[in-house]
Amino acid sequence: MNILIGTVLIWAAALWVIRRLAREEGRMAVFGRRARETFLYILPRVAVGLLSAGFLAALLPEERVEALFGASAGVLGLLLASVFGAITPGGPFVVFAIGASALKAGASEGAIVAYVSAWSVVCITRTLTYEVAMMGAAFTRVRILVSLPVPIILGLIVNAIG
Amino acid sequence: MTDRDTRDADIPAVPKRKLIDAGFAVVIAIAVLSGAGVWITQGAGRFFEILGQDLLFAAALLPKILGGILLATGLSLLIPRDRVLAAVGPESGLRGLAIAAAAGAILPGGPGLTFPLAAGLLASGADLGAGIAMVSGWVLLGANRTLIWELSFLPPDLVGLRYALTFFVPILLGLFVRAALRGRA
Repeated sequence: MNILIGTVLIWAAALWVIRRLAREEGRMAVFGRRARETFLYILPRVAVGLLSAGFLAALLPEERVEALFGASAGVLGLLLASVFGAITPGGPFVVFAIGASALKAGASEGAIVAYVSAWSVVCITRTLTYEVAMMGAAFTRVRILVSLPVPIILGLIVNAIG
Repeated sequence: MTDRDTRDADIPAVPKRKLIDAGFAVVIAIAVLSGAGVWITQGAGRFFEILGQDLLFAAALLPKILGGILLATGLSLLIPRDRVLAAVGPESGLRGLAIAAAAGAILPGGPGLTFPLAAGLLASGADLGAGIAMVSGWVLLGANRTLIWELSFLPPDLVGLRYALTFFVPILLGLFVRAALRGRA
C-alpha cells in the first residue's frame, strides 16, 4: 500500500516536471539520454543491494539486532547505530541496503534514521577524500562537531513518535 | 548542440558511469558472501526463497525507481542552475542560510561538485554558517539521493518522516554556528 502511494506521488511530480521540460525546446533529448543512463546505472545496484539486504537480514541474529538496535535499546542503541553509520564506507546504496536489512531484522526506525543520518553527516570516506581537501580541516571540524548530535536527536524523535 | 545542451551534459546525475565501481563491488561481495552464508547455514531452500522474494520485491519497486529517476533527472534540468547559484551570494540573515541550504539540497551532483560550490560561496564573502548550511543541506537532504536511492531501499513513510524532521536542521546548524562565533567574538 505504501509503495503504491509513494509511487503515485512520485509519478505525479515526475509527469509535472516532464511537462514543464517538454515546453522548452530541445531539452527532451538530453532528458531522455540522462534518465536512461541513470536507470542503467541504478537498476543493477538496487537489485543486488536488495538481495544483500535480504540475505543479510536472514543471517543477522534477530534477538541480537533487537537487543542492540531495537526500540528498547534507547539512546545507547542510537549511539551505536550512529557510530556504525559514521564508519560505513561507500556509496548510498551500501548504506541503504544495510539499513533495510537491519530494519527487517528488528532494528527500530529511530536506529535506522540515526544510522542513515550519521552516515550522511560524517561519512568518513567522503570527508577524508573530499571535504578536508576542498574545504579545509577547520571547516570540516566545525561542521562535523555541530552535526554530531543530529543523528541521535532525530533517532530519539522518530522512536518517540513511532 | 546548443549552449544549453553542453551545459546540461556537464552535470551528471550520477557520478560514475563505470559498469562496476568500488561501491558496487562492495555490494556484490556482501550479496555473494551473505547468500553463501544463508545457503550453508539455512539450506538451499531458504536461499532460493529469499532470492525469489527479493527479486520479486525489486520488480515491484521498478515503477517507483523509474519515477524517482525521471523526477530527479527532470528536476536537475528544470532548475535554473545559474539562477540558483546567483541567489546564493554572501547574503546574510536567515534568508541567506535558507537559500544556501536549499541550494545544497536541490543542486544535483556529488562531492566533486558540491564542495567547490560551498568553497566558492565562502570565497565570495558568505559566512561560515552559510557554508555549513549548504553542505548540511546537501548531505542531509540531497534530493537526488533521496529520490533515487533512499526511496528504493527504505519504506516511504520512514523516508518522509526522516526528511520532514531533518528539513530545518541545515538552517539550525548554520544559526548555531553563527551564534557560537558571535559569542566568541
